Amino acid sequence: MGTGNGPAAGASWSFIDGGTLRQLGIASAFLGVVLLVVPSTLGSDWVTTLTSVAIYSVVAAGLGILYGRVGMISLGQIALLAIGTWVATRLSYATALPFPVLLLVTGAITCVVGVLIGLPALRLSGLYLALITLMAAGAVTIVFKAIDFPNGGGGFTGRTALVDLSGLEPVRRPALALGDTAYYRYAVIVSALMFLLALAHTASKPGRAWASIRESEPAALAAGVNVTVYKMWAFALASFMTGVAGCLLAAQIGQPTATSIQTQDSITLLATVMIGGIYSLWGAVVAGAFFQLVPFIFQAQWGISPNFLLIIFGVGLLQVLLTAPGGLVQQLPKDLANLGRLVVKGVRKVAGGGKRST
Amino acid sequence: MHSVVGFAVFGVDWAFLKPYIVLGLALGGVYALSGVGLVVLYQTTGVLNIAFGAVGATGALISYYLIEHTGVPDWVAFLVCIAFGGVVSLLYGLVFGPAFAARDPLVKMMGTLALALILLGLMAWRAPIGGAFARFLTLPTSSHRFGLFGATVNWTQVIALAFAVVLTAWTTIFLRITSLGTAMRAMADDREVAAMLGVPVRRVEASAWLGSGLVCGAAGLLLADLLTSLDYSALTFLVISSLAAALIGRLRSLWLTLAGGIAIGVVQGVITPYESITRFRAATPFVLAILALLWMGRHRTVTISRTAG
Repeated sequence: MGTGNGPAAGASWSFIDGGTLRQLGIASAFLGVVLLVVPSTLGSDWVTTLTSVAIYSVVAAGLGILYGRVGMISLGQIALLAIGTWVATRLSYATALPFPVLLLVTGAITCVVGVLIGLPALRLSGLYLALITLMAAGAVTIVFKAIDFPNGGGGFTGRTALVDLSGLEPVRRPALALGDTAYYRYAVIVSALMFLLALAHTASKPGRAWASIRESEPAALAAGVNVTVYKMWAFALASFMTGVAGCLLAAQIGQPTATSIQTQDSITLLATVMIGGIYSLWGAVVAGAFFQLVPFIFQAQWGISPNFLLIIFGVGLLQVLLTAPGGLVQQLPKDLANLGRLVVKGVRKVAGGGKRST
Repeated sequence: MHSVVGFAVFGVDWAFLKPYIVLGLALGGVYALSGVGLVVLYQTTGVLNIAFGAVGATGALISYYLIEHTGVPDWVAFLVCIAFGGVVSLLYGLVFGPAFAARDPLVKMMGTLALALILLGLMAWRAPIGGAFARFLTLPTSSHRFGLFGATVNWTQVIALAFAVVLTAWTTIFLRITSLGTAMRAMADDREVAAMLGVPVRRVEASAWLGSGLVCGAAGLLLADLLTSLDYSALTFLVISSLAAALIGRLRSLWLTLAGGIAIGVVQGVITPYESITRFRAATPFVLAILALLWMGRHRTVTISRTAG
């Protein structure tokens, strides 16, 4: 079994084919609803949660590129997100860069870190790559626990031991999006741009190179694909996107600490991305929702501890691995179509049976 | 508490380090025996069991509840913990083993990741960690102490280390001389060929799952005691330290795994009292595992064999 041979790979993302317009239509309608309808109809806690959904769906999309496109699994994406958040927080206190520049610089620095982690890891494949990212994530977690996040102090770690933190500024937000609702829209737009960036890659030359590496590395090598460069490229892109997400997260939290981001959530993230659909960018959106929105609904709306969701994620992951490699995004339409066909068949049978009996 | 500022190899005060070395050896023993369990299972079935720690943690938690909330004698509760590890692993192996058998090692690993999530969810849901509340699971052997080379040692620590050594030796002999062991080695080489030669692959795989599951229950029990409080998320991440040990053994050599596990435990123990680096001590298994992985990958060649992952 190759690490991925999702039926949708390539097909739904090529710019030329007829389904593209439909996809584009759905995407813009979705974006319209998310940007305009949602904030005016839902409460402020929903808006904050949905901001997190947007941010985490970018992280999920990065993981989707690594595993769904190239077949490399990373169990350290949330740790990378934490690095992005740390860098953004540090830069926000150290410089007066405008927010969009902050986004880009954070993305670039996280990208370098990700590539540095990925560089030796390129020698490893499959299982061992997954393990080394897991270990690196663990080490990063320990370091963050030790040095914690910057809070406006000096030095490299940017942390002061002041007891009274009330005078400290939070990480700044963009001047045009200071409020929660405005920031929500800002985050959604930035996330959409990140998705476009991913789409531009997967629908062009790198996407084809990645697909060939995923299917067979020796074949890709024989066909003249520079395997090292394209693997590095995927790492760089995923890390950049994760870094940008980290910057968005830093400004959303305001004063992040070591407990704001649980790096062991990388495993939960992997499960949700697999359940959502690793081969599709829509899957990343579903993953973001599973990761942030569903727990919120259970906890805040229904008062049920979201811990048992882990059980559902585990069962869902098994289900995806064994029977539905495309995840919900591919399985749900298929199942609905099947259900529809069954219903139609049943109705016809009943109607036909009725005729015969009369 | 001593405060040691510098770290000099030859200026080390060994008497002062002794208790930390003892603790490190005991923890290292648990890492090593879990590592051996992981290696045997990986070699036989191709599954790298990430749920190893979660299964042990769930067993320990069940054991805790039996002791605290029912009148069950302690030793029964401890046996339940070990049996739970065996039964859950065996069930997973019987139900999902065949379904994943032809998939690549990465997918097999993700299957056990799902098991880990399910168990973690169960534990977090039924037994949430709240505030300053801590659970304790203490083995009766921990209250018997004696002096050894000037350090105080309790029997649980001795058992942890001795069990690791005995298990490694026993497994090595078992794989050499018994027919089940030979079948396991055959499957480590090639599952299909072994099956064609008449090895009952499913039964052999099931016994590997059962064996490693029992080890994992025992490791959960020992670690719950050695870590002083029963923190199931720490116990779940026991798998990382044992993975590191197994990786030092290249997922193949039992004796190197034993050495790796003990080394991780001792390094972690020895740096505990040094203020400048003690907060990074938990990173020991990660760093050693990364080094082991890079060492393993140093001769990377493109290959299309099934085991290349």
